[in-house]
Amino acid sequence: MYGPYRRAAQTGTFIVMFLIPVLNLYEIYTLTGTFYAINIGRLGIADPVVILQAIFAAGELSVPLASAALFPVALALAFGRVWCGWMCPYHLLADVASWTRGLFRAKIIGKTGAGSLPVTSSFTANAGRFGFLVLGTAFAGAIGIPVLNYVNAPGIVSTEAMIFVKERALSIEFVFLAVLVILELTLAPRFWCRLFCPTGALLSLFRMRVTLRVATTIPTPRSACCREKRCTEVCPMGLEAFREGSDLLCTNCGRCVDACASVQGPGRLRFTGFRT
Amino acid sequence: MSGLKEFIQRVFFHGENPLVDNYVENRLRPPGAVDERRFMALCIRCNRCLEVCPYGSIKRAGIGPTIGTPYVFPENKACYLCMACCRLCPTGALDRELRKPEQTAMGKARIDTTLCYSHLFLGHDVLPDTSGRKIGALCNTCYNVCPLQEKAITLEKNLYPVILDGCVGCGICTERCPTRPRRAVNVIPAGMGRADEAGFYFRKARKHYESSTAIETKTPSGVLKGEKLLEQKSRIEGTRGEPDFSFPYETPKKMEGWE
Repeated sequence: MYGPYRRAAQTGTFIVMFLIPVLNLYEIYTLTGTFYAINIGRLGIADPVVILQAIFAAGELSVPLASAALFPVALALAFGRVWCGWMCPYHLLADVASWTRGLFRAKIIGKTGAGSLPVTSSFTANAGRFGFLVLGTAFAGAIGIPVLNYVNAPGIVSTEAMIFVKERALSIEFVFLAVLVILELTLAPRFWCRLFCPTGALLSLFRMRVTLRVATTIPTPRSACCREKRCTEVCPMGLEAFREGSDLLCTNCGRCVDACASVQGPGRLRFTGFRT
Repeated sequence: MSGLKEFIQRVFFHGENPLVDNYVENRLRPPGAVDERRFMALCIRCNRCLEVCPYGSIKRAGIGPTIGTPYVFPENKACYLCMACCRLCPTGALDRELRKPEQTAMGKARIDTTLCYSHLFLGHDVLPDTSGRKIGALCNTCYNVCPLQEKAITLEKNLYPVILDGCVGCGICTERCPTRPRRAVNVIPAGMGRADEAGFYFRKARKHYESSTAIETKTPSGVLKGEKLLEQKSRIEGTRGEPDFSFPYETPKKMEGWE
């Protein structure tokens, strides 16, 4: 079961987000920064999208710039988009929004589940977020300002946490977050992570043959697969896990693997990649 | 495309957008900042400088194109030049190699002699008026609090403060200056555009000034008086032979009784 571990990792990241400014208030500077860019000791880690934009906007590639993006890229190459599924604070908010939505739907309409996603085709969803990433980067290069930072959801969440702890205030970007969460609650569940998020889009590009992914042991699991399609039901990204386990949208959250646990036999979903 | 880029850069960087006034006195980038244009490109708004500042001097910019970037507002809290923020910047928007406080260039302080108590005292304007502002005293607080005394500021004749070239613009003098509501010593930010380029009204004033001076230089005819006449006279050179003076009346060749 991966669910509890994933929740623990997400909650841990959320707590760390609030812990960093508290530590800094006590003048402990081992951990500094927000999820735009963070320092753990002397190891500098930055969001690859932020670095990409800085390279385009400033028109130069320097060693400190490029080295800051190395760690997230290495993580993505090894484990896929675990940043999104297991750590991202905004993803946790979206999970909570989706859960709340499911609760209200069950009470008001009487239907279970979080409801249908705004765009069902994984190809359209991918095209949307890559288009947003390319347009944003091009615009950043054109005007010399990293504009995608204005809509970097995890960065804004952690910045708000930092401001809240340090100054007991919220900045204007909180409005952006509130609009996103309200939209996810009402009209378009999961729309930001699936259709827009530039960080997720860039991270999903880094994958190799050995990158961790979801798959079944049967090459074409048409008949052997469970007919209830529980994996498809639970997938937050709207993927058919038995077929699209290696899609760029997959965040390796492991929900489909958990849902598949009751199915016995060789067709079970499991994490593969460098393990096999 | 390059025209569009230029237009957008003009709007965002040179303060030519009437809604955005990029140039503001007493609003500085943290120490070690590169010039404003590169700073806006490189700063990723991670707010690490803000977190590490032990004095709480660095504040986050509010709504506008610079949202999220760090600023120092010396009227509230000046920079105390501990240089903790520079070495933490991940992208080089703040110079990582900078260690010495006297090498920073955040701006330059400027003393407003019509407000400064010491300068007022010097001008024998010591009588308190009804507003209570013009008290005039040997205050010299700016000199006493300056971390770079005698490099950045000195006491001329041991009486009144004068800013020197070594001023780095930390703004401690602005923070401590006792005059209210406006401080007598203000910091002009470096690398942040100029006052005459900032905002719609500044530009309008500059154009007005330029057009007025252009007319004056183009048509030197007319009667000159006062300082302008002196200036005209000072331009006359004595090394290139005699200037031509034409007189409206005839000079007599010969005068009776003078030989």
